[in-house]
Amino acid sequence: MTQTLDVGEGFSQLDSSRATGAPTSATQTKASKFGTFAITFGIAFPLLYTAFERLNWPLFTYHPVLGNVDFWRQPAGVGPPMFWYGWIVLAAISAFVVGGIATIIPGHWLRRATVFCCALAALWPAALAALRIFITDWATFDADFLNSVWVAAVPAFVGAAVITYYVPSRLAERVWTSWLLIAPIGGLVVLGYSLLQPWFLR
Amino acid sequence: MSIILSVMREDTFWRILLFVHFLLAVGLLAAVTLQAVAVLMPARQMAGNFIDRSPVPAASYTPLIVVLYVFQALMGAWIYVKYRTYVRIPMEELRYFWTVGSFEVKEHVVTMGLGLLPAYWYFWRQPQSAEHAEVRKWVTVFLAFCVWYAFIVGHVANDFRGVGS
Repeated sequence: MTQTLDVGEGFSQLDSSRATGAPTSATQTKASKFGTFAITFGIAFPLLYTAFERLNWPLFTYHPVLGNVDFWRQPAGVGPPMFWYGWIVLAAISAFVVGGIATIIPGHWLRRATVFCCALAALWPAALAALRIFITDWATFDADFLNSVWVAAVPAFVGAAVITYYVPSRLAERVWTSWLLIAPIGGLVVLGYSLLQPWFLR
Repeated sequence: MSIILSVMREDTFWRILLFVHFLLAVGLLAAVTLQAVAVLMPARQMAGNFIDRSPVPAASYTPLIVVLYVFQALMGAWIYVKYRTYVRIPMEELRYFWTVGSFEVKEHVVTMGLGLLPAYWYFWRQPQSAEHAEVRKWVTVFLAFCVWYAFIVGHVANDFRGVGS
């Protein structure tokens, strides 16, 4: 019922765009730029938020008992420190910049870059987990130096580059908006999993 | 803040804030649920002249949902300060680990929904465009999930130490 009743609005939009001509195309460009920004922001924000939370990189730390705000990550002083605000603000600023860049690069580059970043986001923690399993279960030498996010970055970057190279352009184009749901759900799975041990399996 | 606290007790102030947070949450819950149901089960044809009132188009809820979501997130972030010091610490001491954990998940769920708001608003600007129909539907459903989850977990935390507890 909702959609049927909205049809009139749809036709009126079509009519007005035909009548106004050139100014509308400028408006459409503006709208499509905003669309590109909004979709890219929606994909980048959950990925960055998840990464910042896992790495514990807040832009600032809030100490609720003292009412103080300190730059970056600070240890507990009087009362517990709060990092959540710092993660959100840092992720929002970063995603805003990413969204802004997305509006000025060609569309096919943007789709490819999205595939690369999302593949990287999945492969990086997977590589780290695989390295940790290797260190504890398989390694016959002191492989502790491999237990590092930066070592895990190497296979993750290579894997993401290979995936990006082999994904057809048409598929990258078609699934682009789907990342809007895959990114936050994936982020929630990672963050939820990290909370299992400290709270739910205690 | 000090002016408000000179008029009422600090406890009362936080309880009023929490109650307003709850009332707005009910409004947001209603709007986002109606919209999610409208996209999941759209009517196939008009009712004709039998019903003389038009239903509210689903797209018209969008600005209200965006404004309420942002406002609720900000308000929740404010109340969260009190939760962190006054509620969570006794929760941990009394070993209510599932409640604390669920609230931790709530922070992340609300944040994910917040990040989707610009895209959500963009998709609903042209509710008839078939181009983004599928993603518009699922983004709306995801937002509805975020609001429901936040509401239920917030309510459980309130029952531990909040209004009427």
